[in-house]
Amino acid sequence: MSQSEATISTGTLSLPENQDSQRSASPAPTLIQGTEPGASQDEAMFVHAQSYEDLTGEEEGAVPGSPGVEGAVESSSMEQISEDFSKLSTKLSSSDQETQNSEVRTDLGRRESIRSTGQEENEEGGLRALEAWYNHQKHVFVLSEAGKPIYSRYHSEEALSSISGVMMALVSFLETEKNAIRSIHADAYKVVFVRRSPLVLVSVSHTRQSEQEIAQELLYVYYQILSLLTGTQLHHLFQQRPSYDLRRLLSGSERITDSLLDLMDIDPSFLLGAVRCLPIVSGARDASSSCLQQAKAKSLVFSILMSRNQLISLVRRKEHYLHHIDLHLLFNLVTSSSSFKEGEAWTPVCLPKFNSSGFFHAHISYLSHDPELCLLLISTDREDFFTVSDCKRRIVERMEKRGCWGSLREALRSPFYSVAQVDIPELRHFLYKSKSSGLFTCPAMDVPYDTDEERRRLLALYQYLHSKAHCSSHHLTTIYHMGTNENILTWVTDAFELYVCFSPLATKSIATTGVSRLLRWIRKEEDRLFILSSPTY
Amino acid sequence: MSGQRVDVKVVMLGKESVGKTSLVERYVHHRFLQGPYQNTIGAAFVAKTMYVEGRSLTLGIWDTAGSERYEAMSRIYYRGAKAAIVCYDLTDASSFERVKFWVNELQNFEEHCRIYICGTKSDLLENDKSLRQVDFHDVQDYAEEIKAHVCETSSKTGQSVDELFQKVAEDYVNFNSMQGPTEAKGVDLNQKQNSTLYSCCHH
Ligand SMILES: Nc1nc2c(ncn2[C@@H]2O[C@H](COP(=O)(O)OP(=O)(O)O)[C@@H](O)[C@H]2O)c(=O)[nH]1
Ligand SMILES: [Mg+2]
Repeated sequence: MSQSEATISTGTLSLPENQDSQRSASPAPTLIQGTEPGASQDEAMFVHAQSYEDLTGEEEGAVPGSPGVEGAVESSSMEQISEDFSKLSTKLSSSDQETQNSEVRTDLGRRESIRSTGQEENEEGGLRALEAWYNHQKHVFVLSEAGKPIYSRYHSEEALSSISGVMMALVSFLETEKNAIRSIHADAYKVVFVRRSPLVLVSVSHTRQSEQEIAQELLYVYYQILSLLTGTQLHHLFQQRPSYDLRRLLSGSERITDSLLDLMDIDPSFLLGAVRCLPIVSGARDASSSCLQQAKAKSLVFSILMSRNQLISLVRRKEHYLHHIDLHLLFNLVTSSSSFKEGEAWTPVCLPKFNSSGFFHAHISYLSHDPELCLLLISTDREDFFTVSDCKRRIVERMEKRGCWGSLREALRSPFYSVAQVDIPELRHFLYKSKSSGLFTCPAMDVPYDTDEERRRLLALYQYLHSKAHCSSHHLTTIYHMGTNENILTWVTDAFELYVCFSPLATKSIATTGVSRLLRWIRKEEDRLFILSSPTY
Repeated sequence: MSGQRVDVKVVMLGKESVGKTSLVERYVHHRFLQGPYQNTIGAAFVAKTMYVEGRSLTLGIWDTAGSERYEAMSRIYYRGAKAAIVCYDLTDASSFERVKFWVNELQNFEEHCRIYICGTKSDLLENDKSLRQVDFHDVQDYAEEIKAHVCETSSKTGQSVDELFQKVAEDYVNFNSMQGPTEAKGVDLNQKQNSTLYSCCHH
């Protein structure tokens, strides 16, 4: 792989200067937050959030500077850890015992022989399962601080219980402070630990993601668990009994967490810490917002119209802002389960970033199945089902009366625009996040990113560049990444984040002109691509 | 449809995966969805209008998840229910143990709720009787003791499903006409208020 990168710390990109300070047609690098394309014209809809804020935030009590510091452990300890880690990997492979010696290719890139004692018939399946287990790119485990297994991605419960001891040994060995993040690099592997008392979250993966990014994903899993139980209940359970087995309480929810992890592998929302909007003509969006707005009830805090992880409208109670993490969790809850498709669901849900101490009640119903359109009404009162259900009825009635369906349906049928619409030479794909609104937009992943593998590869590249851009202390960063398959220009300012993917034929100057044309295009289309107002009831 | 009047609140209770959602699905949509198990999250509400003795009656059915996670909150789903269909899987003895838990809850908190004990997945026994793990007579004895109705259904074939909900509705109508005036005064919240008011004035 021949790649080269140039990191330019200040706006070497020559973009046309613009005097019009308000909502300029092509934003200059000095653009202040709140005037970039996609910025909300009134208040923002979301709580303002920064990258990795949870990892560095005071409130969570993390140690400044500690997150994911490579080599945070002394080198003598490092040897010990490597030793433990190889023990861990042998432990992993012997967790499933077989009769014959057989070779298994492990992700660790070496061959290991396994001595086994099981029965003939189980052997094949067991081995295949084991191999499959190794071939996953990212394993995620959740344990209690007492070392009890709680969750394992890919549901290798047995493997989990046999390694949890080792994991815990590692954790206690690594542990210095609560809430700290630690990582180990062994072979091609990265092991990242995040401790959020009373839980320990571990990721074992081989990716190019940075520790911070992996830790951020682990935090999402932590928040996912909070959203099922509330933080208060979680702490209470473990305070009463440190050896508590949480699996019983979480039973049936594994699918939600699995789906969250799968989504994080393919959806840039999590990487960007932003919400994706469904592109729709602004008139239609406003109309549906006002339908939500008019159906108010005392207990309602948020009314959300969404389709397949894309936001259409959000109406909130004055003074109340949703956090994008909470919205991502709600999106995932809805899309991970087909159980909401019939009738009206009424389910307790904790929005951990909003308030981790209690439950809201979510009224979830599909207004349309094909194309998918889902309404979420978040209420503070669990006894208020019928009032909220009546709000839903009023919303549907009003949407019919105002004739919202036609344009909504049309927008839902083509949830992604093609990059060809932007009409810029060599442009293949991009991600654009408006920092002040917490929203982002991107076109469909067309050829050559139309296979799962290529999609993942592109997202992995974005992840890699994202971490590069964010580890620098500069406010203004541009990175030009040249690879064999594509060139990506990364541009992070106070106001926006932009990742633009060009074909490898694009020269730097093509890319630079392309980017400024792209920004002009986004500005021109902003009322379709973004939600520019933040309505309240 | 919501916003409409609900005459009878019916709640589905029982261990996860015994077939509560399938039972509602069969009754409301006349279908049985195969495929990987999708556990219910929280609870789902659906209203269904039917006819009993020439009179239309709307059942408001609450299909609960049955997960322990929200057990403490399950009261919001069965509070004020006129009927509870407590399900167990005929091929899973442990699911019948959970029935007893729910019956206890109901007896303690909802004494006016009629209980229907429903053994599910009867189609599985058709080909292989040995799969049965819960004896019919044991269930009947238990039901008699707690004054519950018993039935065995299959959502896959539809066997006895409509009959079960029909019975729920009929019992409500009959019980209601018998109770008549008492039921009309049902809401004692006002009564209490009045009496407080009265005692206030008295002082
Ligand atoms: N053979 C058979 N399977 C059933 C029947 N009812 C439900 N099931 C299956 O049992 C599983 C759990 O059903 P579900 O209705 O979701 O259970 P719930 O958790 O109680 O709501 C699903 O895989 C259903 O397909 C039935 O009558 N016959
Ligand atoms: Mg169910």
